Amino acid sequence: MREVDNANPAILNVSQLPSRSRKVTTPRHGPDSKCDKIVYSKRPWLCGSSSSEDEDLEEDYGEDPVDAQDIYDLISPISDPEHPHTLGQLSVVQLPDIHLSPSPAERRGNALVTVTVDLTPTVEHCSLATVIGLAVRYRLEQTLPPNYRFDVRMKDGSHAQDDQVNKQLGDKERVAAALENDTLKGMLDKMLETCV
Amino acid sequence: MSQPPPQPPPISILPLATFSPDLYTRAWQSTPHPYLPLIATTHDKTVTVFSLSTFTKHSSLTGGHSRSIRSCAWQPFSSPSSSQTLRLVTGSFDSTAGIWTYNPTTALEKAISSNPTHTEPQEQEEEEEEEEWEFTLVLEGHENEVKSLSFSPSGQFLATCSRDKSIWIWEHLGGEGEEEDWETVAVLSEHDGDVKTVAFAPVFEQGKKRDGRGYGVDCLVSGSYDDTVRVWREDGDGEWGCVSVLTGHEGTVWGVEWERQERQGGRYQRLMTAGAEGRVLVWELKEEEEGDDGDEEGGGNRWGGIPNTMRRSLREEWEVKGELPRVHTREIYSVAWSGETGLVATVGGDGMVVVYQEDLGTGEWRVLGRVEGAHGPYEVNHVVWCRRFDKGGREGEEMLVTTGDDGVVRAWEVRLGE
Repeated sequence: MREVDNANPAILNVSQLPSRSRKVTTPRHGPDSKCDKIVYSKRPWLCGSSSSEDEDLEEDYGEDPVDAQDIYDLISPISDPEHPHTLGQLSVVQLPDIHLSPSPAERRGNALVTVTVDLTPTVEHCSLATVIGLAVRYRLEQTLPPNYRFDVRMKDGSHAQDDQVNKQLGDKERVAAALENDTLKGMLDKMLETCV
Repeated sequence: MSQPPPQPPPISILPLATFSPDLYTRAWQSTPHPYLPLIATTHDKTVTVFSLSTFTKHSSLTGGHSRSIRSCAWQPFSSPSSSQTLRLVTGSFDSTAGIWTYNPTTALEKAISSNPTHTEPQEQEEEEEEEEWEFTLVLEGHENEVKSLSFSPSGQFLATCSRDKSIWIWEHLGGEGEEEDWETVAVLSEHDGDVKTVAFAPVFEQGKKRDGRGYGVDCLVSGSYDDTVRVWREDGDGEWGCVSVLTGHEGTVWGVEWERQERQGGRYQRLMTAGAEGRVLVWELKEEEEGDDGDEEGGGNRWGGIPNTMRRSLREEWEVKGELPRVHTREIYSVAWSGETGLVATVGGDGMVVVYQEDLGTGEWRVLGRVEGAHGPYEVNHVVWCRRFDKGGREGEEMLVTTGDDGVVRAWEVRLGE
C-alpha cells in the first residue's frame, strides 16, 4: 500500500457543490443532469465518413449548448484515486476553473469548442496528478462529441511539476498509449465508477 | 518602377475519394509505397493496405502486435523495376517493430484453393486472406512505445524511435523468410524526451558529394517531445552521431519533412519541422562558401591520410530560413512537402488541411488554400502527397491523402490556376 499524499483533505458536503439553479417543472428521472442526453445518448458518436457530416452536433443536446456547469457535472463525480471522495468534494475540480471557448452564446454549428479545465490537486506534490488529469480528459473524450477539444491542466502554482504534467496530458499519443496500459486503464475505470 | 507582386494562383482543394472501407477507429498514418499503387494505413493493432487505383482495400496485416500500431514504412526496392520482396515495417505501442513480407504467390494459391469447387468454411477463407502478409521478424530493443520509423533511400538502414528517448538504427543484411537478417548498428540516446518522429533524407547527387567531408550519404532527422530537432549522420566508418541540434520550437516536434526536389546549385535539401505550438519552421544547412572547399575538388576524402581520431568532429549548422504563415489553431501533427510541385501541406488538431507555396523570388511562404473540417469535427493526424494511379489522374499528378481520428482516409485533388 502506498502512502497517502494528503491524509486529511478538506471535504465539501454534496449539498455545497455547485449545481444549476433551474426552473424545472417536469419531474426528474434519474441523475439530475442535463448531460443525461449525452451519457445515455441513443446514438453514440460514431466515426466514419458518412456520419455527422451535415448534422449540427450541438442540436442533439437539446436547446441549450453545453456550458461549464455541464462539464462540471460530468467530471466532478470522478472518484479520487486515494480518497473515498469525488474530485468535486475534494475541490480538485472547481466550477470557476472550467472555461469554454467560444462561450455557449457565441457558438455556431459544428465549430470546434475548446474546454479548458484547471485542476487543483489536494497537495502540491500530489504524485497522482497525472492520473487525475488523465481521468478527467478520458471522461470528457468519452462523453462529449468529436468537435470538442480538451485542455486539462494543473492550476498555476498548484502543483510542483505543472509543466510536465500539462504537457503529458496534452499529448494525444501519450494519452492513447496510456489507455492501452491495463493497470492504468483499470485504475481509471475504477475512478469513473462513481460517474453516471 | 517596380511591378506589383504576382498574385498567387487560385487553388481548389477538392474531395477526390474516400478510401473504402472506413476503419471505424482512430487512424494514425497512411504511407504510400515508393513506386507501387499501394498505401498502408495504421489503426488499432492493424494495418490496412489500400489500392491507389481503386481507393479500396487491398489487404490487411493483423495479429502481429499486442498494442496499437502507430506507424509503418515500406522498404524501398533497390530500383523500381527489380522484383524484390514487398516488405512493410510496423512500429507499435507494444515497444517492438514488426517486419512483414507479402507473398503474392501464396495469396494466389490460396485464392485458387478456395474457389467454389472446394467447400471451404467461410471462417477459413478469412483466415487465409490474412496470410497474404507474413509477420516474419520482430525487432526488439526499445523499452517503450515505438512511435515512428523510416527507411534510408537505399532500403539498407531502418531507423526506429520511441518514448524511451532513443533512436535505433538497424541494417538489413539480406536474406528472406527464416534467413532474414537484421542487425542493430547504432543506438542514439541524446534526446531528453520521447522521440516522436524520424525521417531519412532523400539522397541526390549533391548529397553524395558530402561523402567528401567524411560523411556517409545517409542523413537522419528526428523530432522530439523535448522540443528539439536533431540531425544525425554516419561518419563513414559506421559510427552514427548527432551533427546538429535545432532549437526554435516551443512545443513537441510532431512532424519533420525533407525537401523532395533536388535544389539548384547543388545545395543540400532543406528541412521543415512542425511543432505543437503551431509553427512550421524551414531550415537550411549552412554550407561552406564557394572556393572554401578546395580540398573537395579532387573528389578525395578531405581528411585523407589523417587518422580518424584526429578528424574534426562532424558538426554542422542549420539555420531557420523561413516560416510558414500561422493558420492552425491547435497542434500541427504532420507536414508534407511535394516532390512534384514543391507545395507544402499541413494538418493538425484543428481538423484543417492547409496548402502553402513558396514565392521563389522572395523566399516567402504564403497560404494557397485551406479546407476546414476536412474530417468533419475530428482531428487530422497525418497528411502526405501521393502519386495518382486512378483513372482520373494525369501522368505524374499528385494528390493529398489525409488520415483522421474518425478512422477515415481521404484523398484530395489540389487544382492550381483555376
